Amino acid sequence: MPRTSKRKSAPPNSSSVTSPEGRSVSIKAKTKGMEKIDRLFNSYANNSLGMIDPDGIEALCSDLGVDYTDVRILMLAWKLKAERQGYFTQDEWRTGLKALGVDSLSKLKKALPELENEVGKSSNYEDFYSYAFRYCLTEEKQKSVDIESICELLNLVLGAQFHPQVDLLIEYLKVQSDYKVINLDQWMNFLRFCKEQISFPDLENYDASQAWPLILDNFVEWMREKHS
Amino acid sequence: MSNQKKRNFQIEAFKHRVVVDPKYADKTWNILEHAIHEIYNHNASGLSFEELYRNAYNMVLHKFGEKLYSGLVTTMTAHLKEISKSIEAAQGDLFLEELNRKWNDHNKALQMIRDILMYMDRTYIPNTRKTPVHELGLNLWRDNIIHSSKIQSRLLSTLLELVHRERTGEVIDRGLMRNIIKMLMDLGSSVYQEDFEKPFLEVSAEFYKGESQKFIECCDCGDYLKKAEIRLNEEIERVTHYLDVKSEAKITNVVEKEMIANHMMRLVHMENSGLVNMLLDDKYEDLGRMYNLFRRVANGLSTIRDVMTSHLRETGKELVTDAERLKDPVEFVQRLLDEKDKYDNIIGQAFSNDKTFQNALNSSFEYFINLNPRSPEFISLFVDDKLRKGLKGVSEEDVEIILDKVMMLFRYLQEKDVFEKYYKQHLAKRLLSGKTVSDDAERSLIVKLKTECGYQFTSKLEGMFTDMKTSQDTMQGFYASHPELTDGPTLVVQVLTTGSWPTQTCITCNLPAEMSALCEKFRSYYLGTHTGRRLSWQTNMGTADIKAIFGKGQKHELNVSTYQMCVLMLFNNADRLSYREIEQATEIPASDLKRCLQSMACVKGKNVLRKEPMSKDIGEDDAFFVNDKFTSKFYKVKIGTVVAQKESEPEKQETRQRVEEDRKPQIEAAIVRIMKSRRVLDHNNIIAEVTKQLQSRFLANPTEIKKRIESLIERDFLERDNNDRKLYRYLA
Repeated sequence: MPRTSKRKSAPPNSSSVTSPEGRSVSIKAKTKGMEKIDRLFNSYANNSLGMIDPDGIEALCSDLGVDYTDVRILMLAWKLKAERQGYFTQDEWRTGLKALGVDSLSKLKKALPELENEVGKSSNYEDFYSYAFRYCLTEEKQKSVDIESICELLNLVLGAQFHPQVDLLIEYLKVQSDYKVINLDQWMNFLRFCKEQISFPDLENYDASQAWPLILDNFVEWMREKHS
Repeated sequence: MSNQKKRNFQIEAFKHRVVVDPKYADKTWNILEHAIHEIYNHNASGLSFEELYRNAYNMVLHKFGEKLYSGLVTTMTAHLKEISKSIEAAQGDLFLEELNRKWNDHNKALQMIRDILMYMDRTYIPNTRKTPVHELGLNLWRDNIIHSSKIQSRLLSTLLELVHRERTGEVIDRGLMRNIIKMLMDLGSSVYQEDFEKPFLEVSAEFYKGESQKFIECCDCGDYLKKAEIRLNEEIERVTHYLDVKSEAKITNVVEKEMIANHMMRLVHMENSGLVNMLLDDKYEDLGRMYNLFRRVANGLSTIRDVMTSHLRETGKELVTDAERLKDPVEFVQRLLDEKDKYDNIIGQAFSNDKTFQNALNSSFEYFINLNPRSPEFISLFVDDKLRKGLKGVSEEDVEIILDKVMMLFRYLQEKDVFEKYYKQHLAKRLLSGKTVSDDAERSLIVKLKTECGYQFTSKLEGMFTDMKTSQDTMQGFYASHPELTDGPTLVVQVLTTGSWPTQTCITCNLPAEMSALCEKFRSYYLGTHTGRRLSWQTNMGTADIKAIFGKGQKHELNVSTYQMCVLMLFNNADRLSYREIEQATEIPASDLKRCLQSMACVKGKNVLRKEPMSKDIGEDDAFFVNDKFTSKFYKVKIGTVVAQKESEPEKQETRQRVEEDRKPQIEAAIVRIMKSRRVLDHNNIIAEVTKQLQSRFLANPTEIKKRIESLIERDFLERDNNDRKLYRYLA
């Protein structure tokens, strides 16, 4: 069988020219693009730290016309694969903006709705959702997030799409006393709960003998009592 | 004449031209017909068998078989018709006798006729596939006599009348019955069944329906069953005497249906005499009878079993929830054992050790014993009581019997780990106070527990025994190396390995100077011979014997707890001490101190101390003095023995909490074990497997198991499967 030769696809922002001049051109094009990104970075970065800190992010937000607590910033952080809450490193900034295909503030602003769509795709959404949780783990070796923050996060991330469920879940979380913190497993199962079309608000098709975390079993029981 | 042509000499076949006399057949037949007449008229002696046989033979040979056969039929039929008339004419009781007689005659005649006609029987008849002579004779009898319109119904009603009379107590001629019945059987099973058996069964059913109705109105359960049993046996006997053996099953079915099956529920639930009453009163004979009778009908035994089970469960439930009984744990357990004995006896003596009943008994006990969450504690207290004093003077075999019975109750427990906890506590107290009646009995029970639950269950218990023994040796060594101490107070130390004994955190109190010096010497001795160990004095578990001289010179030896000893020794240096002073000097925890002072100042017969004010409770400002007026009949006075008691409510909560805590790692270990071998498993299966694995120790709660799974997920031992969130996956 003849081997099909694989042609390397051309990388973006550079032309596949074999001449040395061409190469330098592509490098130049690359560096030029990167220059703009870097400049944008520096305009918000804390120079002594060498990265954008919470103040910088706040400034970025106001420039983008987006609230600091808007979910789109979280999405941006996800796209950047930012590791530490409230900070963007230069590498993260570069990789993220490049992936977005933007190099200026105005382009970034325009890219935000697209980003929302991208996140909304089911293949990405779970990843984003789990990222949202991990983003809150500020201490080293921290595995759980306190209830207060979880409630806010739930609202932020799921509030729009699953409004009734989220409201009740938040109410329950604040009222119950079994758990003071939520771990990743429980967090992921909140999403699963909302997605799995458990009939609301009667929760008829919820089966407590299945592998739901105990906190959801308790939530369902609380709901049923409330409605009886 | 010589002009005759010479013909060829031909040999012709010998043609025996028998000129058969056309009248030959008739003549021969007449002879035979005549013979048959004679036979039927009991005149056979004048006949020549040989001649008749020859005649019959010839007829068949000359192809007159047809004539012979049909002649036979006609003749016999005619005779039978006459016989029929004579039978019909018989009056009353003579009817059957006449029938019987004629039947015998007919058989004899038939025999002879068959012999005469044997050639025909063997040649003509098979060739033409006609009915053989004997059978023919029977069929003709059947058709002409038995099925004759004037005889058929009369025969049946006569037979049934006789059976009825016998059932009502009359004596009948059984021999005659047997013969008649045998006749019917000989005529063919369908004759027996149609002309007798079927109607017999129907009539019997009617009879027993009526009888059972009559009995059930006027008899109690036991009497009814007696009557039913009698009737059943009667019918069986009837069959052996004059019916076809195949009828036995059929008639017994009828009796069983009418007398037992139809009234089963009413009998079982009969007020004041039904099954429950029989059980309560240990009526072995009645119960046995009921078992044997009910076993014959469908659902009979299951009915008994169900009623017994629900009764047992109810009484058991009452037993374990009766507040009065619960006040004395030993009584409580004894009552359980008695109940078990009672039912073992019933099943053994009345229900022939039926396994299904044994199982029902076991499941009932298991059900209600576990209704009371204190059952494990109480059983341990029962054992404690027995091993302390209950088994004193009891023979070795009897000890074994009692312990085996306790083990039986133990097996019913679902929360065996709770029992283990209590047993450990009680055993510790027994060992430390030296209060066990028999070392052998103790060890025997441990062996039984080990056999039942495995080595793990008992390893710590055995450790406790080892510690006791080792401590003895240690003491010997201590005194051997410190001969100068033999004059001072005698110290007996039990060194307890922390893991084996029930844990109790204890703050060491202040010992009197003499004791603390001695204890220090022991400590350095011990640590000198055992490196890398730490000793901490458990002053809440010790005892002391002290000699005391009271005001009027009364001398007594007091057996007290270590705490009590500390308090008393203070009075060697002071006449009056306030509560606060005592507390400060001894550093005994408040609740223990109060209890300790109460036992010495407020209990009659043990009041070696006097308290002001004289109230029952210990107040912070109370003052204590030695009770100079103390008297006791005995020289040795026991004041503070640490006896195992039913726990108070807060203690119970604490123990329960500890048990729950201990269960968590066990559940986790089970989950990890299972997941390690299965790799991937769904939720319901994990729950089922874990429960099964832990069954021998306790009943695992599915919610608790879920909690442990989540905890293991958090600690990265397990994860949920990415695609199917119902599955769990083991993380190596």
